[in-house]
Order: sequence, then structure tokens, then C-alpha cells
Amino acid sequence: MASNGSDSGAGTKSYTTQNGTWRITTRKLPILKATPIDQLSNDLGIPIPEMIFGDNLVSIIHLPTAWTLSFNARDALDRVSKTEEGMLQVAVAEEWKKDRKEAMVKDEVKSVVKPFDWSYSTDYRGSTDVGGNPILFFETVDLYEDELADNGIALLSIKIRVMPERLLLLSRFFLRLDGVVVRIRDTRVYIEHGSEKVIRQYTAKEESYAVLQEKLKGMRENAPEAFRDANVLAPLLRTEVDEVEVFEVG
Amino acid sequence: MPGLPSSVDLDECIDRLYRKELLADSVIEAICAKTKELLMKESNVVHVQAPVTVVGDIHGQFFDMIEIFKIGGYCPDTNYLFLGDYVDRGLFSIETISLLVCLKLRYPSRVHLIRGNHESRGVTQSYGFYTECSRKYGNPAVWHYFTDMFDYLSLSCVIDDKIFCVHGGLSPSIHSIDQIKIIDRFREIPHEGPMADLVWSDPDAERDEFSLSPRGAGYTFGAQVVKKFLEVNSMNHILRAHQLCNEGFMVMFDDRLSTVWSAPNYCYRCGNLASVLEVGPGGERHWNVFDAAPENEVHRLEQQQQQQMQVGSDPVRDYFL
Repeated sequence: MASNGSDSGAGTKSYTTQNGTWRITTRKLPILKATPIDQLSNDLGIPIPEMIFGDNLVSIIHLPTAWTLSFNARDALDRVSKTEEGMLQVAVAEEWKKDRKEAMVKDEVKSVVKPFDWSYSTDYRGSTDVGGNPILFFETVDLYEDELADNGIALLSIKIRVMPERLLLLSRFFLRLDGVVVRIRDTRVYIEHGSEKVIRQYTAKEESYAVLQEKLKGMRENAPEAFRDANVLAPLLRTEVDEVEVFEVG
Repeated sequence: MPGLPSSVDLDECIDRLYRKELLADSVIEAICAKTKELLMKESNVVHVQAPVTVVGDIHGQFFDMIEIFKIGGYCPDTNYLFLGDYVDRGLFSIETISLLVCLKLRYPSRVHLIRGNHESRGVTQSYGFYTECSRKYGNPAVWHYFTDMFDYLSLSCVIDDKIFCVHGGLSPSIHSIDQIKIIDRFREIPHEGPMADLVWSDPDAERDEFSLSPRGAGYTFGAQVVKKFLEVNSMNHILRAHQLCNEGFMVMFDDRLSTVWSAPNYCYRCGNLASVLEVGPGGERHWNVFDAAPENEVHRLEQQQQQQMQVGSDPVRDYFL
């Protein structure tokens, strides 16, 4: 992959556009070790997803002004709800509640000590700091992923692509809670290298599992396979939020 | 007990599987039927003696499983206990479970397989094994053969009466090992109850007792639960798998519980180490830590080349839809 930049630390790649205006940096490192995970969990006050790429990073810097848009797992998780509000429950939770009553009477089971949004749904749009069409640079950077104890998947992943005239970034949060709901929250960033505008679009989509199952049946799609592919599901979801912001960085 | 059909030569199957070749679906059918007969006779708590090498989650990472045999010894020279989650996630679930099942049939007292939460019809439909069976065989028949056989896998194992081994962890419904022995295990993994807990639950270093997971189903268990379980059952350690650890293993609760994880660079992108636990004749434990097998990278590059040779294929297509 093209990498014309400097300061390449471990797992780091960077690319500067030909007009010298924008620098894109990505860092991909292994999942965190036990001690940093404990620290992060203490800092954020929630348990950490199963796969936590806490050292991974994507950043876009406007070199003349040092304006920065960056994406990292810590800030994304900080946007996860830390209260009971809007907390999803797995499909079998009702069955469980009956069982729980018996178990609680029996003795030792404590109820949920600290509720949090365990589906790791985040409305993260990146952290800002004031400061032909060939693909010249491409990278996929995962920030976190959790199998939700095999009740589905929660994945926050970023793709970035730089072309001679523009760059595109897609940060996608994908949640499939089996039998309950599918959520996609996309942040798209468009930059024309020659302009001093950053356009950011945030789209939140959602649909119930049952409705999606019906739609897939109608399309004669293989449902188990389709439910694993966010690209197949995305057009079938209801759009709940669609916002565009323009940053003037010049 | 009837033998395998004369057309099925186990040693030949094992040789082919070590080379990562698929067996015919009729052979898989016969082998799964035979394995059911063998597993049916096992207790819910299998007793084994050290020395034995204990393996955690593999998740279809075939090359990394072969790496385990390279560093830990081949069957039957080394005794193996596998703690479940053989399938899903990786690229070669069929090759992985086929080889393990053939080794179990060939060396039944030297290879032990217990059930993980992924040895289930429901979970394998979401996490890749079902899709892999349909793609590699053109239909889901072998998925049915394997998942029907999974219903017969045992739930736990005890090494030298001292180390309790299970895929996930403890259950609030189980205080003594005898309560595991009376579970009717010949079924799909249920959503709740002791059988579900054994393959699902996780330890929690910050609590003493059992807690409900915020997900609304499932338990975590704490230090006091572990201590009491070991006392009641006169044991000194709990060994389980089920949770990814960057270092390949994790020891908790004053050395009373450990997690063994055997899928290096999980999902080909986590960058984590893996391990197997070698339990010696005196009960001593040695972590054999290993990294991803180099064959993974060779395979990846081959796939990439093939993709590039296909006309019109673009690795970043659908990117911004």
C-alpha cells in the first residue's frame, strides 16, 4: 500500500496529499493486553468489548491549520450509554427473568451490578481538534468488536480511501442483536483536497429483526448469510437520523 | 458395536486431513455416526490422568491447530483435552473438526473433546460454520451430520481428581460435580439452566459471587464462588477457555482459575498470542505459548493473488455505498 509519509511507528502508515494540504494517518496494532484493558475499563466505567483495538487510530490532519479529525476506540466507547436508558436485552431475556426470580430466592445471584449499554452502540462521529480515480491509499482499521456472548455482533470499523482529487472515510458501527434488532450508524467524511471544506454525514439506521427476516424472505436471500453482511442489510433499514455538517478549516 | 464401513480407513482420513483435504460427505456421515456411539458412553464428567495437554478455543484456524501438534506433540504421543469451540470464525472449521473427530475415533482414550458454546445449531448458523459447509459441499448436509454429533459431546473433564475443566465456567445451579453428572446433555444447548451456564459463563475478578450479565442472560462468577466450588469438590484449580486473551492465557483468583486461549491472531486480525496448557504427572502446569502459524500468511497472499487475477474484481468495491 502506498505510504509516502514520515514518522512511521509500529503499525503506522501515513499519506500526504500531493498538494501538501492533508495528511492521513492510520495505526493498526494487536488488541490490548490485560492491564491496559483494566485501566480503560476503570477510566470509562464500563466493561470493554471482547476485541479491543485500543491502540488503533485513523486521523485526518489539515496541515496548514493543524485541524484534525481522528477516530479511536477510547473516545468511541466513551459515547456508549452508561445507564439503563435504551438498554437492549437479548432475545431470551424474558425466559431468563423467570429463572432469575427462583435463583435470587435461592441465594447467591446478584442482580446486574452496573447497567450499561452492553451492545456498545455508539453515535461516535470522530474526535475533532482545533489544531482517473486510482486509489492511492486504502486502509481498514477496526476499533472494537464484540460477539455479545454469541447473541450477534457489535463492530466499529473504519475504512479510508484516498484518491488524487479527494478522500473518503467511512466509520461504520454495525449491531446485529439476533432476534431483536439491526443497527447501522455510518459517519462518512468527504474532503476535496483542493478545498478547505470537510463534509461529514452521519446516518443512523435501524430495523427490527422480524421485519428484516420478512424482507430477506421476499428477496429470496439466504437469511443466515445476509444477516452477517452489513452491506446487504443497510438498504433494508429505516433511516432515523441523517445529518450533514460542513467544517470550514481554511 | 458395528465398525465403520470397510470403505472408510481412519488412518488414511487422518493423513488426508493433516494435508487439509476435505473428506467426502458420505465419509463425514459415517464418521459422525460412529463418533456419536463413542461419545454416548462418556459421562458428563470425563476423568483423565496427567500428563495431558489442554487446548482452548480453535475456531476453525486449521493452520494454528497443526502448529499446536508441532509444538505440543502429535497424537497419540501426547494426550490431548480440547475444551470446545472448534468451529466458526476461522476459514477451516470443517477441516478442523473433521481432523479432531477422526483423532478421537482413532485414539479414544488419548484424545478428549468437550462441548463449547459454538458446538450448537443456533450459534453455527450465525458465525460461519453453516455457511462454510454449504459453500464447500454445495449443501448443508455435513452441517447436519456434525451438529447432530455435537449433541453427544461431554460437558466437562477432571484431571487427576484435582483440576476441573469446562468450556465456559460455573453455574449457580451446580455446587457439586455430581450435579453435572445428572444433566441430560444429549440435546441442543438450551438458552438457560446449568448446561447453558457451563458453556457460557465468565469469571469476573471484581466480584465475589454470581452476577447477572447486563445482556439479560448469562452469568459471571467471582472469587468466592470459585473457592467454594473447589473446596466442596476437593479440587485445586478450574481450567476453562471461552475468552480471548492477548497474552494467550490468563490466571486469576490467586491461581485458582485459568483461561486457555488457543487461536493466535484470532480472526486473522487480533494480533494476540495463543497457548496450550501442559499438565504434568505431578499436577504442575506449564503454559506453552505460540504465535500464528506462517502458513496463514502464505494462504492469505495466495487468496489475494487469485482475487487479483479475476477480471474486474476490486478489493475495495462496495466501499462507500
